[in-house]
Amino acid sequence: MKSFSKMVYPYVLWAIIMIVVPMMMIVLYAFTVKGNAVLTFQFTFDNFVRFFSDPVFPGVLWRSLKLAVITTLICIAAGYPTAYVMAKLKPNSQAVIVLLITLPMWINMLVRTYAWRGILAHFALSGEAKVYVGMVYNFLPFMILQIYTSLSKIDPNLITAAHDLGADNIQTFRRVILPLSLSGVVSGITLVFLPAVSSFFIPKLLGGGQYVLIGNLIEDYFISTGDWNFGSSISLIMAVIILISMYVTRRLDRYTAQGDDD
Amino acid sequence: MEIKKILKITAALSTAITLTSCGSGTAEDTETVDAKEAYGCNVLNVYNWGEYIGEEVISNFESQYNAKVNYDMFDSNESMYTKLLGGNSYDVLVPSDYMIERLIKEGLLQELDKDAITNIDALDPVVVEMQKVYDPDLSYSIPYFRGSVGIVYNTEHVDPAEVEEKGWEILRDPKYKGRVFMYDSQRDSFMIAFKALGYSMNTENEQEIEEAFEWLKELHNTVDPAYVTDEVIDAMIYPDAVNYKDLAVVYSGDAAYIMSENENMAYYEPQQGTNIWSDGMVIPKNASCPGLANAFINYILTYDASYDNSITVGYTSSNKQVKDDIASGDYEGISAYVPRDGYEKDEVFRFNEVLVQKLSERWTKVKIAE
Repeated sequence: MKSFSKMVYPYVLWAIIMIVVPMMMIVLYAFTVKGNAVLTFQFTFDNFVRFFSDPVFPGVLWRSLKLAVITTLICIAAGYPTAYVMAKLKPNSQAVIVLLITLPMWINMLVRTYAWRGILAHFALSGEAKVYVGMVYNFLPFMILQIYTSLSKIDPNLITAAHDLGADNIQTFRRVILPLSLSGVVSGITLVFLPAVSSFFIPKLLGGGQYVLIGNLIEDYFISTGDWNFGSSISLIMAVIILISMYVTRRLDRYTAQGDDD
Repeated sequence: MEIKKILKITAALSTAITLTSCGSGTAEDTETVDAKEAYGCNVLNVYNWGEYIGEEVISNFESQYNAKVNYDMFDSNESMYTKLLGGNSYDVLVPSDYMIERLIKEGLLQELDKDAITNIDALDPVVVEMQKVYDPDLSYSIPYFRGSVGIVYNTEHVDPAEVEEKGWEILRDPKYKGRVFMYDSQRDSFMIAFKALGYSMNTENEQEIEEAFEWLKELHNTVDPAYVTDEVIDAMIYPDAVNYKDLAVVYSGDAAYIMSENENMAYYEPQQGTNIWSDGMVIPKNASCPGLANAFINYILTYDASYDNSITVGYTSSNKQVKDDIASGDYEGISAYVPRDGYEKDEVFRFNEVLVQKLSERWTKVKIAE
């Protein structure tokens, strides 16, 4: 065992170079101002003050969060019934449907979004509506598959037992199936909400440039403006929000897991 | 995008056929050079705009110089600059005028080897004059294409007289709500506002900048434009069934290409003045094969390479002979191919870091205004 644990070192090295060092650089940039050589950098909160003192930037943040929350809710609303119906099918049909749902993912997300742009060109929708279509389309499979997995893991004997004890279909669903499948919903939320908050090419391609989100803002400040310090501070604010939402979903997961024990 | 690629390939093929049928003997006369022997290296890293080169240009260069070209593309001067600062090494870059000015000022370019660039006499004096504003002796840069910024409009829905009368102001006409494409570039958008207000696009005056900012915000609120970049080309050639646009801010070369594909489209450079620009080839200091880079720049100036570039992409060649031949040949009657020159209200954009900073934050705010 001991000799095997050494095999993890290359990964640790990789993670330090590729994840930890860039994160440190983002933090360093976020707390400094432009024009400073790294050796003489000056600690400052200016970038954060600038972000929160102008209503425009928190507005963009709010819009991104709203988009992510609504996308996640639509995905749950559409994904849960789909997964429920799937789990009730014969095993062979289930395999076919899982294949059909994963099939589009064989093609790159960017390519599929370009395809949507062509399709949506024929519909008189607002830029915002188009962005929602693209977001839900891209993230729905993750939600369906997560919920489906947790639903199909439920022991059928539990449902039989519930019926034997006199529960009707609605009661069985509410008291047995739903609580047992919540962990799937929670991991679905993690897989949909987190990438949705930071997505930037879907709004860029489908929103006609009229729909600026926090991801677009970061891109703008890094590439067009060349203000890496402010861009880094927005990235950091973004990272904190993601950490908080991960913590919340983790708590939610634990809460539902406790529910299972009762 | 895909459709456009196919069209371009067919265009390039038909060009190749025309060229061979014209019996251009020049291609056979050019002697081949072994890059490794002549310059000590045979790999050239070229960083150019997307959709900005003829189909045969690179492969012909590779066989003529027995070299390998790594061809990389960027979509804005700023992203090119960011990548260059990130430490990427390139041999030839093709940035725009103001970015060349910036690169020269920051000492990021090396002087060209004028002895190697023997085709320099083929350059169009018009574009040389424009380039001299920031590179007086063409020591660092050789013009590639030039162009202007103007309005492409659908003559089926918009009266040419109305465009000519209103100029840039037509973009703010509530009548065209939802029917306008703006170009997603702070530089070009603020240029439009400055020109519409009668100011210089190189102003530093706080009051004028603020007025231009208000002008753009009002445009944003009255016509709800779509902010796009290269997508505008396909969108104007093949108007959407439902979401078609009537007016678009477009670079002259893209306009020429649009007009050659869709006869309902016309191009107009407003009387309030516009931005005339040029893109040039430069060699960064950290180039790994400068000898071959100079040879490449010289090669681009040849008639065949310039012709292939210009006819494929639609932008105005820096090679005078090529420009004249295409203007009276394939692009005859397409006004956008030869942008206006010598008009007093037209300006070349100058690099100004203070102005760029002021504009970029405001531009972000224009786009997110509710």
